[in-house]
Amino acid sequence: MFASSWLILLFPLTGFIFLSWYGKRISKAFVGFIGCGTVGISFLASLVALSDLLFLPAEEGVGKVEVLYQWVSAANFKLDLAILVDPLSVFMFLIVTGVGFVIHVYSIGYMQDDPEYSRFFSYLNLFIFSMLVLVAAADFFFLIVGWALVGLASYLLIGFYKEKTSAVLAARKAFVMNVIGDVGMVIAAFMIFESFGTLNFIDVFDAAPEMFRPNDDQILLITLLLLVGAFAKSAQLPLHTWLPDAMEGPTPVSALIHAATMVTAGVYLIARCHVLYELAPFTMYLIATVGVLTAIFAGTMGMVQYDIKRVIAYSTMSQLGYMFLAMGIGVYSLGMFHLMTHAFFKALLFLAAGSVIHALDGEQDIRKMGGLKNIMPLTHATFLIGALALAGFPLTSGYFSKEAIILSSYHAEMGNFVFWAIALITAGMTAFYIFRVYFATFIGKTRSPDAHPHESPLTMALPLVFLAVLALAGGFLGPLVDAFLAPVFGHEAHHFHDGILETIALIVGIGGIATAALMYQVSKDRIELMKEVFAPLYDLLFHKYYVDEIYDFLIVKPTKAIGTFMEEKAEKQGVDFAVDQVGFQVKEVSRGISFWQTGRVRTYALNMVAGMVIILLFVVFM
Amino acid sequence: MGQEFVLLVSSTVFCVGACGFIIRKNPLIMFMSVELMLNSVNFLLIAYSSFLNSLDGQIFALIIMTVAAAEVVVGLAIILTIFRTRHEMDVDQINALKG
Amino acid sequence: MFDLTTIFEFTHNTVIFSIGITAVLASLGVILCSSPIYSALYLIGHMICLALLFLLYNAEFLAAVQIIVYAGAVMILFLFIIALLGGKKEIQEFTFERSIAFAFIFTLMGELYLSATVGPTKQIVGNVNPEIFGTAKAIGLELYSKHLVAFELASALLLVAAVGVICLAKFSFAPLKRR
Repeated sequence: MFASSWLILLFPLTGFIFLSWYGKRISKAFVGFIGCGTVGISFLASLVALSDLLFLPAEEGVGKVEVLYQWVSAANFKLDLAILVDPLSVFMFLIVTGVGFVIHVYSIGYMQDDPEYSRFFSYLNLFIFSMLVLVAAADFFFLIVGWALVGLASYLLIGFYKEKTSAVLAARKAFVMNVIGDVGMVIAAFMIFESFGTLNFIDVFDAAPEMFRPNDDQILLITLLLLVGAFAKSAQLPLHTWLPDAMEGPTPVSALIHAATMVTAGVYLIARCHVLYELAPFTMYLIATVGVLTAIFAGTMGMVQYDIKRVIAYSTMSQLGYMFLAMGIGVYSLGMFHLMTHAFFKALLFLAAGSVIHALDGEQDIRKMGGLKNIMPLTHATFLIGALALAGFPLTSGYFSKEAIILSSYHAEMGNFVFWAIALITAGMTAFYIFRVYFATFIGKTRSPDAHPHESPLTMALPLVFLAVLALAGGFLGPLVDAFLAPVFGHEAHHFHDGILETIALIVGIGGIATAALMYQVSKDRIELMKEVFAPLYDLLFHKYYVDEIYDFLIVKPTKAIGTFMEEKAEKQGVDFAVDQVGFQVKEVSRGISFWQTGRVRTYALNMVAGMVIILLFVVFM
Repeated sequence: MGQEFVLLVSSTVFCVGACGFIIRKNPLIMFMSVELMLNSVNFLLIAYSSFLNSLDGQIFALIIMTVAAAEVVVGLAIILTIFRTRHEMDVDQINALKG
Repeated sequence: MFDLTTIFEFTHNTVIFSIGITAVLASLGVILCSSPIYSALYLIGHMICLALLFLLYNAEFLAAVQIIVYAGAVMILFLFIIALLGGKKEIQEFTFERSIAFAFIFTLMGELYLSATVGPTKQIVGNVNPEIFGTAKAIGLELYSKHLVAFELASALLLVAAVGVICLAKFSFAPLKRR
């Protein structure tokens, strides 16, 4: 029954191969059909896997490993081409293919005018395939393979507009930071192999509790190195600088990769290896700290940006911080639940923003937008729903997941007051900045008289509606998700109910919305005055705390200098010189020896006589 | 006389022939030095066949004479051909294989 | 003391010695003469000395063959070619290469002299009837029985040489310009 799970992986792969070979020769409608169709079939196959899993008798364990092919079967190392079908991976399958399918449909409309239509869809399919490999892997080897493939796909997609220099540079930056994470993961895989003798998830997680005491050096190192990979992929401090720049890619790319799927790979990794992380409480604490710090960090930066996509990107970083906080505290299924709801409303926000950008012919600056409420009612309504979900307005899905995390940050055993306070402040900031964008974009007078905005076509509108419904209703799936994921994590997450804290959070959220509304009503000169008052702070936030400049100075420039030096000295004067000399010296030596060949018979006769003399010497004296 | 004398004469004539081959430039004289060397070896063979009372040495010497005759004929034909084309009687000038 | 055998021995040795010395001197003459004709004549003298030595060592047939074939046919051929082509009288000078050549040659001679002290390494004892030793009959008996293959190959060699010479000497070349 589970063998059909291979179809989940197979279809996007064939879609990628087919579209990259034949994409240019078939019509755009057909390309769109194939591109979305493959992901749709994957989604259906994931539903089949879900039903298989639900009907699996309890004694067969939590999940099943489907082996396709025994690749390596050496004496002490075994590696199979296998996928792991258990609640966690099926959960990720559904999210990736479901949200992916919706975004594919959206892209049909969004990328309609782009000449590289088929290339876009082939890359999208490649990305879906890579992400599925990552979440379906049954051992660390294929996890890293999927990890690297996802990095490649994100490079290709971010740099999709290949004539734009900024896009290419952003893609390169994203790729380099991902590679830093890859290095950490590979070293961690080596260490896991050294300690456990196998890379298989099930074997490692079964053997781990017996092998290590908590906070053992070895397990600390392994978890920290895996963490490097997770931080790089999920844009946490300090490897976060690529995410805002990655908005150079088309909006569906931002929605898919940087909201719903790729950046959640880090969270998935920690959830998958939770057995190892539970043995290293220090790392868990580190995860929670970094997560909550990133959340507030990104929140502050999001308040001053005026590119609509960048604001949403910072909110992604911030919400990922929440997810890491949840993982660090130990409430894994709450983190995964927030992952799901975040996928819904963040994709919704991105797609709605894309709708606005498409309508305004590429304008992304919110200072030049305004008054779109009546012109694009559908986009307006869906954006509002997404913004409410992000801010955690009651009864939206974001409310259920974010509230649960904020409560757990105080009440769980590893939570404390500081975590709670920072998470709360960040929630307020989140509400503020997303509603600032809402007000600036949709309410009031139009500040862009030249453009002629129009409501989006059906292919772009339907996904928005669908995601809006999910964003509203997804919250009620909470308990189901908990029950579903419980076997993987060993226990159900505890839902705390604390009336006081819930009320405080509610007040903070609504306060953020109200502040945004107020700021909007205030006249422009007052805003300018405030900017001058807070000028240094404003500068710091606007330039992203100068982190990019610091990295450039500390890391990029020295590396470039070393590279140039090595090319000049080591390469040209060292290696090239040596290789050239080999040939040159051979020529010189042979030129020297060629004096022996005089071409005269008498000299050769003399050589013969000399040889005879020497041989006779040997004969006589030995 | 004795075996030592035969050996001495034979090796002396052989070395004289080798010397002549290396020293002279005229190809005809070089050829004659080769004949000297062959003759010395013939002498040695025949003397020793007498000492050892076996006819193998004489047969060998006969074959060597045959070979020498054939070689002289072909060699002189070659020298003749070279002279016809180049008008040189100096072996040192025939150094096209130099280098 | 002065009986016949010792006188015979003495004469025998003296004759061999003198003819040997003559042969050596003649060979020196071959290489040291400036004109090719003189060298050829010295070579003929050397060959006649060798023929006499062959006679003294009981090889009559081979002595005859030496005179008839070697000194008679081969050297006459040589003389013809020398008469045809000639050659200038060359002056001998002593170059560095020559000194090396001399050094090697003297070493070679020394080594060969050393071999005189060693003696034969393996005793080969033949079983030839001493009465017919060296005659044509004995050589014929040996040649056509024990050394038949060598004989056949030698005749093939002669045929090849004849054919080769005809090929070589058939073409006439246009004389090249002098360099």
